[in-house]
Amino acid sequence: MASRETGRAKETGNRRVLDEAGRRRRARKALEALEQDNFHEDPHANLVMSKKAPKFEELLDSHGRSKERKRKTRSADYFKQRYRKNFAMLLEEDQLSNPDGPNYLTAQAGASQLPERHLCAVCGFPSPYNCVACGARYCSTRCYSTHQDTRCLKYTA
Amino acid sequence: MTSNVFIMDNGAHTIKAGYSNQTEPRVLLNAVMKAKSERRRPFIGDQLDDCRDASGLFYILPFQKGYLVNWDVQKTVWDYVFSKEIFNVNHASTTLIVTEPFFNFTSIQEAMSEIFFEEYEVDALLRINAGDLSVHKYHRDRPKELCCLLVDSGFSFTHIAPYIQGKKQKDAIIRIEMGGKMLTNHLKDIVSYRQLNVMDETYVINQVKEDSCFVSADFNADMKKARLKPPANDILRDYVLPDFTTIKRGYLRSLEESNGKSPNNEQLIRLNNERFAVPELLFRPSDIGVPQQGVAEAVVQAISSCPEETRPHLYRNIFLTGGNCNIPGFCERVYSEVRSAAPAEYQVNVSLAKGPTQYAWHGGAAVSQSAQFPEQLVTRDDWEESGFSACSAKFSV
Ligand SMILES: Nc1ncnc2c1ncn2[C@@H]1O[C@H](COP(=O)(O)OP(=O)(O)OP(=O)(O)O)[C@@H](O)[C@H]1O
Ligand SMILES: [Mg+2]
Ligand SMILES: [Zn+2]
Ligand SMILES: [Zn+2]
Repeated sequence: MASRETGRAKETGNRRVLDEAGRRRRARKALEALEQDNFHEDPHANLVMSKKAPKFEELLDSHGRSKERKRKTRSADYFKQRYRKNFAMLLEEDQLSNPDGPNYLTAQAGASQLPERHLCAVCGFPSPYNCVACGARYCSTRCYSTHQDTRCLKYTA
Repeated sequence: MTSNVFIMDNGAHTIKAGYSNQTEPRVLLNAVMKAKSERRRPFIGDQLDDCRDASGLFYILPFQKGYLVNWDVQKTVWDYVFSKEIFNVNHASTTLIVTEPFFNFTSIQEAMSEIFFEEYEVDALLRINAGDLSVHKYHRDRPKELCCLLVDSGFSFTHIAPYIQGKKQKDAIIRIEMGGKMLTNHLKDIVSYRQLNVMDETYVINQVKEDSCFVSADFNADMKKARLKPPANDILRDYVLPDFTTIKRGYLRSLEESNGKSPNNEQLIRLNNERFAVPELLFRPSDIGVPQQGVAEAVVQAISSCPEETRPHLYRNIFLTGGNCNIPGFCERVYSEVRSAAPAEYQVNVSLAKGPTQYAWHGGAAVSQSAQFPEQLVTRDDWEESGFSACSAKFSV
């Protein structure tokens, strides 16, 4: 194993095979996708709202406040500017200020001791087989051909 | 105390809010949403009830991985909660109890304290973990018990937190990266792959999940059964999707009516092993490649890292809160897995909170009535005198 893992599908003989790094990357991406708030784009992202209707951001700012209070309070946008740390920055900061814990990272659940289960990537039923090319599980020739036609190496760069 | 107490369990999915003297909190989505069908305005929280067509609903959420990061969005939702439209909160005469996650980051704690004192100008503040509120109520209702092993399974994650004589054991708290959001997204994924593209329909599929899923008592046996044809397979069901004209809300058909037919052109999805394979992720995160312990394993692990003399008490007081605990079969499964993993000499007792989603809010109401409550608070004067350090001295998350 002297060669560098590229994370790409390689040609080995006639068969393309996804290497270990590629499989891990794909698994990570699948999990990241499961954390998304939306799969699609904001339907009104660039919408110019009708002249009378306030723009989305303006609506955010002015909502639910009496005029008197409005002078004093800051806009929602102020808070966006004032506290702009994302999750990764917060975590890094936390590790610097409290490296020994207990903290966010020390609380993370450890690895399961239970035997891993093998479920078909297509139909979800228990599956005895592994796809040679990408490592996905499948249970039958029918699911295998669905897998090959749809997912297998389709999305790999 | 002369001021009113307002309690806000600020979850990543829903806010549970109301005055301490209310019988139930109001539960509203902690989100700003945009609908394809409505170009004129976004919907804040339960304004979504005014939205006729929630297909393709787009979410803007204040939380990321369970932590508050989008402050403009959060401020918008809070403004709405406090507004005349809902609670008409007069902050100057209000004591606020607001929740935050275990191990909340310091910057977020600072921002919250600042917003409530400087922006809303509350009279007094208690920032606290939802789990602390729940455990307070648990002990108030069961004064003889010495310990509590709290499970809070919400939107972003699931926490397992042991409390010994009411004191949170921070070293032993476990967080599993599995919650209702993942379950819904996973269901969306597999339905889209197997039957019908619903990737844009988080709102609808979340309802499908809540209406259809159950936690299996025996995963392998249910998998076998799901391979069979009805009537031997009593798991397979039709779910009728909403079309937002005649069908405003989707529903699960009964066993007898699940014939796969749609005489009135209803759009159906057929749910089979999906019904239990999705909540299964709470017990086996590794089924989708999350390399972590499941709920029951983590319960046993958390208890084993507490002092030995407390373990019998913890095993006897396993308490389930948070929205996912509503899933039928959840409590029974926790019991059976913990029972078989725990040392035989310990008695195991698992109970499900009545109203697991709202329980922490009720805990807040209980806290506000306790004799120690005034000392737990940071008042306006404290804040003006010492700022955030007054908060860090009193609040422990
Ligand atoms: N009957 C039900 N069946 C299945 N899931 C449910 C049910 N009721 C609520 N849930 C799920 O529970 C989750 C919300 O739980 P909860 O209200 O405890 O979370 P939260 O407090 O908003 O979030 P967090 O505590 O993670 O910040 C949602 O994903 C929701 O779909
Ligand atoms: Mg919660
Ligand atoms: Zn299969
Ligand atoms: Zn493959």
